Amino acid sequence: MANESPPNDRLKCVWQNQPSEGIHMSVDEIRRRAGKFHRKIYWRNSREYVAGLVVVVFFGFQFWRVPDALTRVGFGLMIAGMLYLIGQLHRKGSARSLPAEMGLASGLDFFRRELERQRDLVGSVWSWYLGPLIPGWVVLMVALARTNPGHLRHFGLTFAAFNLFAALAFVFVWKLNQRAARRLQRRIDELNALEGQR
Amino acid sequence: MPAQAPTQDELYREAAETYAAALERLARAYEADPEVRRDLLQDIHIALWRSFECFDGRCSLRTWIYRVAHNTAVSHVILQRRKRSQTLVGLEELDSVPDHREGEWAADRHHALERLMELVQSLKPLDRQVILSYLEGLDAAAIGEISGISPGNVATKIHRIKNILARRFQEGGRHGE
Repeated sequence: MANESPPNDRLKCVWQNQPSEGIHMSVDEIRRRAGKFHRKIYWRNSREYVAGLVVVVFFGFQFWRVPDALTRVGFGLMIAGMLYLIGQLHRKGSARSLPAEMGLASGLDFFRRELERQRDLVGSVWSWYLGPLIPGWVVLMVALARTNPGHLRHFGLTFAAFNLFAALAFVFVWKLNQRAARRLQRRIDELNALEGQR
Repeated sequence: MPAQAPTQDELYREAAETYAAALERLARAYEADPEVRRDLLQDIHIALWRSFECFDGRCSLRTWIYRVAHNTAVSHVILQRRKRSQTLVGLEELDSVPDHREGEWAADRHHALERLMELVQSLKPLDRQVILSYLEGLDAAAIGEISGISPGNVATKIHRIKNILARRFQEGGRHGE
């Protein structure tokens, strides 16, 4: 490789002539693997929904079991919140196969769309992930305090600490997601700047 | 009688035959782990085959193939970054920061390729698209069409790439200056 061409041409040559493993897939093989890939995605999403539904069933059982009306309202709100959350998970965050029209989008457009999708997902976590569970939680806590006043007198501090911990966990998750959304926005701005210089 | 448009399977066969090696190089540039790379390459082939459902000849077959391959690989990088929290750099940073091995020409092909791969894998997705297309021998217009970056920006990026490569891989390095 000595002195016959400029270094960058030599590098192109090194790059293009790197050893190949010669992986080849027939159309039938591709078709089979594409089907397998779709089934994998289907089952992965199904597992998430089943986990959500198990929680719904648990709350449903409690709803049916407890006699107190306010506690039932609390469980009812938790069920509604969970169902809303599952629906949003399906709409926004479920695993999906890449769109067939991917060849129509340039690298910049595709990359930006993916980043925007993620930014919207993490940036709105309060409204679709955390928020829907709060009404049910608050009503349940009030109902618990109302129906067990003696219990509350003895364990008041633990009760307050538990709720404070839950609130802090919610705020922590929210802040973490806000930070991720800002980081994604910075990357989107970089891409917009690239496009703006056309 | 007008010629019949090629079917999805025919287009895929043509793409796989003509670009198999280039797609393998592309997958290698986006994923260092051989096992995961095999999966990525398979995903690229599946994405390509699916994409030919929508191919209407609005752009060249080459542009379409590279777009699908890069876009699939970028999705992979986004996913992997969430798992590995890997830090990627831009061409601007690479161009301004000297490398400790600068001027040390990789004496054999294997060593040169190893260092080149390391450099490519450290780049942000769009810069990686540009350098890969450059190394594949595509011209600025084709790179712009695939990446969506303006011609002016492509020219700037190629200039930077040439600088970086010349500095890092110059035979004889600084001794020859």
